[in-house]
Amino acid sequence: MLTRVKSAVANFMGGIMAGSSGSEHGGGGCGGSDLPLRFPYGRPEFLGLSPDEVECSADHIARPILILKETRRLPWATGYAEVINAGKSTHNEDQASCEVLTVKKKAGAITSTPNRNSKRRSSLPNGEGLQLKENSESEGVSCHYWSLFDGHAGSGAAVVASRLLQQHLTEQLQDIVEILRNSAVLPPTCLGEEPEGAPPSSRTLTRAASLRGGAGAPGSPGTPATRFFTEKKIPHECLVIGALESAFKEMDLQIERERNSYNISGGCTALIVVCLLGKLYVANAGDSRAIIIRNGEIIPMSSEFTPETERQRLQYLAFMQPHLLGNEFTHLEFPRRVQRKELGKKMLYRDFNMTGWAYKTIEDDDLKFPLIYGEGKKVRVYDLTKYDHGADDVLILATDGLWDVLSNEEVAEAITQFLPNCDPDDPHRYTLAAQDLVMRARGVLKDRGWRISNDRLGSGDDISVYVIPLIHGNKLS
Amino acid sequence: MDEDVLTTLKILIIGESGVGKSSLLLRFTDDTFDPELAATIGVDFKVKTISVDGNKAKLAIWDTAGQERFRTLTPSYYRGAQGVILVYDVTRRDTFVKLDNWLNELETYCTRNDIVNMLVGNKIDKENREVDRNEGLKFARKHSMLFIEASAKTCDGVQCAFEELVEKIIQTPGLWESENQNKGMKLSHREESHGGGACGGYCSVL
Repeated sequence: MLTRVKSAVANFMGGIMAGSSGSEHGGGGCGGSDLPLRFPYGRPEFLGLSPDEVECSADHIARPILILKETRRLPWATGYAEVINAGKSTHNEDQASCEVLTVKKKAGAITSTPNRNSKRRSSLPNGEGLQLKENSESEGVSCHYWSLFDGHAGSGAAVVASRLLQQHLTEQLQDIVEILRNSAVLPPTCLGEEPEGAPPSSRTLTRAASLRGGAGAPGSPGTPATRFFTEKKIPHECLVIGALESAFKEMDLQIERERNSYNISGGCTALIVVCLLGKLYVANAGDSRAIIIRNGEIIPMSSEFTPETERQRLQYLAFMQPHLLGNEFTHLEFPRRVQRKELGKKMLYRDFNMTGWAYKTIEDDDLKFPLIYGEGKKVRVYDLTKYDHGADDVLILATDGLWDVLSNEEVAEAITQFLPNCDPDDPHRYTLAAQDLVMRARGVLKDRGWRISNDRLGSGDDISVYVIPLIHGNKLS
Repeated sequence: MDEDVLTTLKILIIGESGVGKSSLLLRFTDDTFDPELAATIGVDFKVKTISVDGNKAKLAIWDTAGQERFRTLTPSYYRGAQGVILVYDVTRRDTFVKLDNWLNELETYCTRNDIVNMLVGNKIDKENREVDRNEGLKFARKHSMLFIEASAKTCDGVQCAFEELVEKIIQTPGLWESENQNKGMKLSHREESHGGGACGGYCSVL
């Protein structure tokens, strides 16, 4: 368990060693490093803002809500809105990207499957039945991709991740795309192992047998141990989940490597949604959140870091290995982020060896970014084909700027009130819904600050929201 | 004189939905006109640098949504603005009548009382005018605003509108110097609102 936590800490995108490469105190910009930026700071590419417009809109007082322009469209008519923080960092440290990836089998590569049974199938093309041969060379598999990153102690890692993570994912998926294609039949890992398998499998077997020594067979990938899966659907999902996790890891490694040559500041959380072959995969590392609102029902699609034991282990780890923290973080846990004005006051806190809370006088060190930021990558899977979604059924992705002030219930209520009042044919309806959510979390600027409903304090954080209509998932072939 | 940018000014464009705010801006920045331009649903930003009297000013122009449903979005956008362009459609009387509401909004949300306001009567290329130039002029005078009539379609008066606005802002002490932006300054004299004086033959005198 501790190993997993340790690796999870390390895998926390970009690492926690923000201090090592010119992190910017107060965010954004060039920090203290002489190294060039890996990418220039900007807003999500799909917003299409020029550098001037980015500068214009980075108004911490007026905090204009940025949305997808009227002339632009995202896949699935996805809606998006964001707003910059009220002053906590120069830049908006959230980042996002959204694209359709085309995953093709790598030319000449042998598709590797973890649990191939190669008994009498040594000449079988990997994972392919006869019906695949015709199209395996030409078509790619479409993979819809949405991502949200919440940077801290600098915007660099989030910018890099928003540009490059999808490439790592594509690479990982390339290795398994041929197997995934066969979703209509049993996964090839079960070929020859499941006598009670569905008829298509048997058919495949027969043809496979007849293909022995057939043309183009790339040869068997060795003789891995036979594994049995009791649930036939799991292997496919497992592969995709594995691809996601590997992509995270590879991205993290790349950032670490490139920190030698580039100024990549800070770290970030990551919330990724992938739609592949009729299923949604949601991977979350951090405190962003994804929920589905379907027919008024809330279906959480992500989990945030909360388990008691993991907290303590994480804090202990940080305590024992303070170098992981650089100079940026405190391993103490507080009920909320400590602010400068609280210096000298006594606040509730909790250390790694405590299950209860106590008071301590707040010092400078306590103002550092809390280590307990959220981790724990779990990938949730949602089968789009199992439900006939309506135009108002959506998947909401948002950074903690939203969730800090609005509960799942409030968000669901807002959406279920807003969307039905929108013209179903309005191509902007989901962007308008996203704008509405951001508005509800940011609030209205009054004398006493940003205020939301019931005169509560609005969110002073960067807020980024996707509203993804699930009905488009049912339109997939 | 010199080629340095003197200052960056924040300009806001407000007014009823459909009066031509985005079109005026598009004409000013890109010198194009699109009759099918979609309604603004959030806030669009355009940046343009212009030279006025030898002074180079970078304009950060906020183009707001005029539809009622977006009204709650815009209040905070007035903060930090040095100039506001209030637009109505000369062929639609209701957009002129609504100007009082917009001025109210302006007054409520602007944090300083010396920003320069300009009233623009747009779509003068069209027939069936419902608001005379004199009416517009009178309204502008009453509220100490600059005034001009324009057409985003034919480009009449568009360049002039922005130039005059910028000129006036630069002439207003304390309004554009960045260090002074948040201080309250004395009121500038704004009785002399008129159309087109500074631009010579540029503006239409109807």
